Amino acid sequence: MGKRKLGALEKLDADLSSLQYKCRRDPASYRDDFATQYQQYEALRDLLLQNPSTTDSQGLVSLKDLIDFVAHVADSYPTICAAFPDDLRELLSQHEELEPELRDKIVSAFVLLRNKDIIDSATLLNTFFPILVSTPSKSLRNLLFSKILSDLRSSNAKSRNHRLNKTVIAVLHTLLTRDRESPKGLWAVKITREMWKRQLWTESEAVALMEEAALSENEKVIIGGVRFFLGGDKEREEAADDSSDDDENVDMNKLRHQAGINKKTKKKARELKHAAATVKRKEKKKAAPHPLNFSALHLLRNPQGFAESLFSKHVQNSKSKLSLDSKLLVLQLVSRLVGLHKLTVISLYSYFLKYLTPRQASVTSFLACLAQSVHNLVPPDVLEPLVQKIANEFVSEASASEVCAAGINSIREICARQPLAMGDTLLQDLVEYRKSKDKGVQMAARGLLSLYREVGAELLKKRDRGKDAALGLRSGELRERRYGEEEVGEIDGIELLEKWKSDERRKKREEAGLDPDAPTDEEEEEAEDWKNWDVEDDDDSDDSGGWINVESDGEDISISDSEDESQPSSKKPKLDVSASKDKENQFMPSKSEDPEPKPISKLATTRILTPADLAKLQELRLASQIHTSLPSTKRAKLLAARHADDPLTAAEIEAPGLLGRKSTKEEKIAMAKADRETNHQSTTAKRKEKKAAEGKSSTNKEKARKKNFLMTLGKAKGKQKRSLVDVRKTLKGHLERQKRGGRRGNQ
Amino acid sequence: MGSSAKKKKEKKKDFQKAKLKVGKAKPKAANFTDTNFKAKSIVLTQQSLSTNAPTTTAQCAHHLSLLTHRSDTQRRDSLAYLTTAFTTSLPGSPLPQPASVILPSVQRLILDGSNAVRQQLLKLLQALPQDDIASHGDHLLLHVRAGMTHLATEIRVFALDVLEWLIGAAGDEIVSCAGGWVKTLKCFLSLLGWQNETAGKWSTTKSFSKSGGDAKVQAKQMSTLAVFLKAGLMPNQSAGAVVAVGDHFPLWQTEHYVLPDRSNAYSHLNLFGAPRDEEAEMYEDREDRQRVFHDRAEGAIVAALEQATKSGGELGRAAALLRKAVRDGMADFHQEDI
Repeated sequence: MGKRKLGALEKLDADLSSLQYKCRRDPASYRDDFATQYQQYEALRDLLLQNPSTTDSQGLVSLKDLIDFVAHVADSYPTICAAFPDDLRELLSQHEELEPELRDKIVSAFVLLRNKDIIDSATLLNTFFPILVSTPSKSLRNLLFSKILSDLRSSNAKSRNHRLNKTVIAVLHTLLTRDRESPKGLWAVKITREMWKRQLWTESEAVALMEEAALSENEKVIIGGVRFFLGGDKEREEAADDSSDDDENVDMNKLRHQAGINKKTKKKARELKHAAATVKRKEKKKAAPHPLNFSALHLLRNPQGFAESLFSKHVQNSKSKLSLDSKLLVLQLVSRLVGLHKLTVISLYSYFLKYLTPRQASVTSFLACLAQSVHNLVPPDVLEPLVQKIANEFVSEASASEVCAAGINSIREICARQPLAMGDTLLQDLVEYRKSKDKGVQMAARGLLSLYREVGAELLKKRDRGKDAALGLRSGELRERRYGEEEVGEIDGIELLEKWKSDERRKKREEAGLDPDAPTDEEEEEAEDWKNWDVEDDDDSDDSGGWINVESDGEDISISDSEDESQPSSKKPKLDVSASKDKENQFMPSKSEDPEPKPISKLATTRILTPADLAKLQELRLASQIHTSLPSTKRAKLLAARHADDPLTAAEIEAPGLLGRKSTKEEKIAMAKADRETNHQSTTAKRKEKKAAEGKSSTNKEKARKKNFLMTLGKAKGKQKRSLVDVRKTLKGHLERQKRGGRRGNQ
Repeated sequence: MGSSAKKKKEKKKDFQKAKLKVGKAKPKAANFTDTNFKAKSIVLTQQSLSTNAPTTTAQCAHHLSLLTHRSDTQRRDSLAYLTTAFTTSLPGSPLPQPASVILPSVQRLILDGSNAVRQQLLKLLQALPQDDIASHGDHLLLHVRAGMTHLATEIRVFALDVLEWLIGAAGDEIVSCAGGWVKTLKCFLSLLGWQNETAGKWSTTKSFSKSGGDAKVQAKQMSTLAVFLKAGLMPNQSAGAVVAVGDHFPLWQTEHYVLPDRSNAYSHLNLFGAPRDEEAEMYEDREDRQRVFHDRAEGAIVAALEQATKSGGELGRAAALLRKAVRDGMADFHQEDI
């Protein structure tokens, strides 16, 4: 039914939109009219409440329009409209029966009231949230969800509204915990994920919420929570990247130049101003410090407990009704947690044993999970049967090459994390596969070999060890690391910095004519350091650029400098070998029998490294990398070094298996074509084709143009023989063509 | 033109004859259209084949459903049909459709945009027996109030006509139903522009949506208000009669023990409804109504009447009428005060 045409009699002498305009312009004068309209609204509302399912679209003025009108001017008449928000709430509470258009209008009117600050966020959320959770209508749910999100975003836009966030999190928490079986908790997950993505919620409360979701009873909620941990941070990073490079570059110089030349209008001036503001904002953004956001996995309060309960509740529990895919997701999270936080969940490894057969569905994911959950504190005797089983099930001449490659590769991934899980006979067997015909198997076996040349060369046969490993073994430099032994932590390249610093100092003192080796007093050196605190930049930024105020999440870390003051002599960055050796012996007696222990630089522990120092450190590190030729294995390791937080996926396990595979012709063609556009056509040709497709015929002109040349000869006359009318036509035609721009026009 | 060989071949393709082969299905023509379709149900619409004409009841039901038709002539015609059906029905016999069916579908038309429809509606309402109106008074009054505050002047004036009829038909129920007294009074005050809250220092401007402050319209409003006040403030004659009759010696206060003569006698208790505020409250007693009228409206009305009586003419007459109604109605209230 279209809009009814109004007869002359039906026309209103005044409509709501003009009244709205007038009310906004001069609220006091139109108070009576507004009061009348409000009464009309009340009358219609009473009518609706008598029978909420009626539609009043027939009448001239519908309740919908009135609600819209009242919401728009409500801020001008606070006394009259005092009960209006409550009315809307009451109407909305009958959302099942209302007609959809009216319902949506009420929702948007409510949001409008919020935007005009007539009601506060808490009221809005308290109204919308129960409906969001309970309504059966999908469109209403979508609408409410978007409104709730936008309200949360806008109230967090200028500064974080901690109080509101806390209440919302509390509400979501009760939603999750009240009924663990219902899928309603999904809304909590959705909202949290969205807020996490936009970096509005970055606290551990939100993470605790998702922890609760992952431990609920409903499969959808569980998967939502688990996916948050697995993908939420990546999503957040991507969103941040997107927002940073969305607006195009503005060339201010060009704009200014144009403004000098072109006609000066208000619009142009405004545009220039706008562009300047954009550039300024961008600069500011660039200079702003990178926000310190911890990933959700790091914000967990009790990773060990979480991993254990996840595993025992959803994975190990034979009564859990999760599908295999969901179970795998949970398993991924558990193994990720175990690997990342170096947790001890012993039953996890024996659980894997059942699933390590090539016939198991999505076995590569299981393999990836297993490898991911291994770390250097897992007892080797727990892992040995797993490795053995993988070798038995996957790696044999009879099995398919992809299977074999995936098996070896997963063994390599496990052993990279815990080298002690491998025995020498098995390793020597597996290494033999590098002579396989299949390229994938070959590569996987080579990977394993090169790994063990580095971490456990004595397990290999002598001829397999390679030059570097053999030399290292003989000199005692390469030793097998024992179970539980940790590498001594140090800052890469700190000794270079230390050396550079002492050289600098020596140089300076020589210039000043002092004894280069004499100890300096601390104060002087300190002052010098603070003086060139920052890296020498071109622009002198006087503000505290680069420093971020991290809001404490409860406890503060207090750093006392008293130690430094008490023993100034030990603070010497000089290579006081004996002193440093003493120190070292105190701390790690196990290492004292080493032939020549590397002195540990105490620069970083005794002094605050300034940004200038860090920049120099990076420079020195790069320089040393270029000069010293690293062993090939180490270089490869550097290349392959991944961030510890990155997950291991099934695709990575499968990767070598795909190496040897021959691609089909179609794939090759697709690869060669890449994303190039196929069959290029000129614009004219495209237009012609489109015209033909629409079923339009060609014009007379086109026909004439295409006509066979020989057929036109008969009609071609000499110029002299033309009639006057023809001449006139030609001349006129010429003029017209000039106007149009050529014979074919700009068609 | 078909210059290239490719195009020629394409052209030729159109006229090639499909070969028929033994044992194979006949190839389908290029322009073959598949006319199969699936449907969950098939309804065959058919004209009524019954030989006897539909009953008045059925026809009334049909016309009632036509009241939501989008064409206003159709709506008017349906109303007209219903009106004649009710007026021609025998005095003793019941209506072709009960009032409880008719009124809910008819009452929406009080807000109808077309004048003809509204006039016809008034005729229809007047054709209805008065006894049936009483129980539907409050719903009708809701629509009347919506009409009285309507943006369009004609509908506002028309709503007054309906209100007058309604008071005539069921005056008691109207003034004593929930919200019937205070809300309607408020409507009147805002219609006349007599609200006491706007009495500021400055002279108020002419109202936005009133067509030139028509004296005629205002007079009508005042007279209707007078009728309304009379209904609300005057003592009820029928109730008095009952009291007089029941004054026999052994049977004191019989009226308390007989069955109530109103429908929904306990509605003032509001057992099942939402809690009400002062505006939506029921004022069943005359004294209650007087009190509320005194609190909320009397001052404004009396002050405005001073002005209106001075202007004389039609307006002045209507104002005098209204003043009389107010004085008569409130006479014993003020006596009590003294």
